[in-house]
Amino acid sequence: MNTNKVEQLIIATVGFFWCFLMWFSTAAFSPSIAAHYHLSIKALGLLASSAIWMAPIGRVVAGWASDRFGAPRTFAVILTVCGLVSIASAFTQDYSLLFAERVIVAIAGVSFVVGIQHVAQWFNANEIGTAEGLYAGTGNVGAGMGALVLPRLFGTDYHAAFLWLGIIALVVAAWYLIRGRAARSAEQVATARKRSDFRSTAFVWSRYIAVALMLAYAMSFGLEIAMNAWLPGYFTHGFHAAILALGFTNVAGLQIAAGTFAAVESFCASLFRPFAGFMSDLFQRKGWTPLPFIARTLPYAPRLHWLGIALILITLAMGSLSFAGLTGSLHTSVLTLVALGIFISFGTGGTFALVPLLFPDRPGTAAGFIGGVSTAAGIVYPLVFSASTNIHMGYLYVALYMFVPFVLFYFWAARHERHPEEHGIFTQALAVEKA
Amino acid sequence: MHAPASSSTQEPYEPWYKYGVAFLSFEMVIAIAVSAYSLFMTFHGLGGFPGKH
Repeated sequence: MNTNKVEQLIIATVGFFWCFLMWFSTAAFSPSIAAHYHLSIKALGLLASSAIWMAPIGRVVAGWASDRFGAPRTFAVILTVCGLVSIASAFTQDYSLLFAERVIVAIAGVSFVVGIQHVAQWFNANEIGTAEGLYAGTGNVGAGMGALVLPRLFGTDYHAAFLWLGIIALVVAAWYLIRGRAARSAEQVATARKRSDFRSTAFVWSRYIAVALMLAYAMSFGLEIAMNAWLPGYFTHGFHAAILALGFTNVAGLQIAAGTFAAVESFCASLFRPFAGFMSDLFQRKGWTPLPFIARTLPYAPRLHWLGIALILITLAMGSLSFAGLTGSLHTSVLTLVALGIFISFGTGGTFALVPLLFPDRPGTAAGFIGGVSTAAGIVYPLVFSASTNIHMGYLYVALYMFVPFVLFYFWAARHERHPEEHGIFTQALAVEKA
Repeated sequence: MHAPASSSTQEPYEPWYKYGVAFLSFEMVIAIAVSAYSLFMTFHGLGGFPGKH
C-alpha cells in the first residue's frame, strides 16, 4: 500500500480530533443531562470531573500498547470501544448507567499519546516539532469544537449527538485501520515492540530527563486543564464587581463573561501549540542555546533551551497573574491570562518536540509516562488555588513552591552533554542492549 | 531550502513543511481573531465567546 507521512499525520490528527470531541461531549451537554435527570450541583460536578479520571493511567497503558501493537491498531481499538459505548449511551434511560458509559467514552482522551507515537515513527528529527505540534494542536481544537458546535447542531438532544459521535468514530476507526501504518520501516516497528517490555518501561520512568519532561508537561498541559476548571469560578468571585460594571448583571451574564475569559486562555493554548513546535524546529535549525547550565552540544540541545525558556515564561506569567489580580484590574488580568495561554502552548509544544528524540526506541512508552502522569497536576493546582486565603495569591504560590523547583530540576536534568537519557536511578539494573 | 545548523538536522525540509507552516500560521490567526473578538464583545458588555452568547 502506498502511503506517506502527510497521510499518516492527517489520519492521526483526525482520529485525535474526533477522540477529543467525544472526550468533552459530555461536558457540552451537561446542562441538558442535569435538567433531564434533575441532577444536583454536586452530581453535576462529579459528571464534569469524570472526564479526566481515566487519563493518567489510561495514557500510560495506551502509550505502551502503541509501541507493542502499533498506533493504528491501538487507535482503532480506542475509537471502536468509545464509539460503541457512545452509541449505547444514546439509548440509555438510567442515569447511573449513563454515567458509567460516559466515563468509558472519556477513555478517548488517552488517544493523545498514541498519535504522538504514530507521528514520531514517521517524521524526521528536524521537522518533528512542527509535525507533533500540528497533530496535537489541531486535535486539541476538538475539545473547543465540542463546546461550540455540538449544542448548536443538536440543541438539547444529547441522545442524537452521542449516537452520531459514536457512528462517525467507528468510520474513523475503520479508516485508521485500513490506511494507517505504524512506522516508516519494519525495523522501527520491531524496535518499538522489542522495547515495550516491563524493563524498558521501568527504564523510562526512572530517567531524570523523563521526569523533568513529565513535570514540564504538568506545568503546561496540566496547568491548562486545571485552569479550564478553575478560571470561570475565579473570575466570578475575584472580579465580581468589575464584571457587573461591564453590564453582566445576572447569573447567566456572569457565566458568559467568566466563561469567555477562561475559553480565550484555552483557545490560545491549543491553537498556538503548532507554532511552539515550529519554534522548537527553528531553535534547532539556528542552533540557539541561550540558557546557562543546559547542555549545548547535544544533537537536540536547542530544543532543550526552547523548552527551558517556555517554562520560565510560564512561571513568570503565573506570578504576574497574581499581581494583576491584586491590582483589581480585570483588563490586566485577562491580558496576562492570554499571555499565559500562549506560554502554556510553548511548553506543551516544546515538550513533545523533544520526547521522540530523547526516547526514539520507546516513543509510546515515553509519551504515555510524560503525557499521562502529568495530567494528575490538573487535579492538584485547583486545590492549591482554592486553599489560598486571597483568591489571587494561589497562582504565585504554585509558581514559587511548585514551578520554581520544577524548573530547577529541569535545568539540572538537562545539563548532561552526552546521553541525558542514561542518567537516572537503577541504570545498570535496567540497562538493555542497543537495538 | 533551509540548512539546519545543528548536527541532527542537516537535511533540508521536505516540501510538506511549508504547507504545515502555512496551516499553523492560519491557526494562529484564528486564535488571535477569535480572542480579540470575544474580548471586545465581553469588555463592551455585548456577549462572550462564540457559542456562549
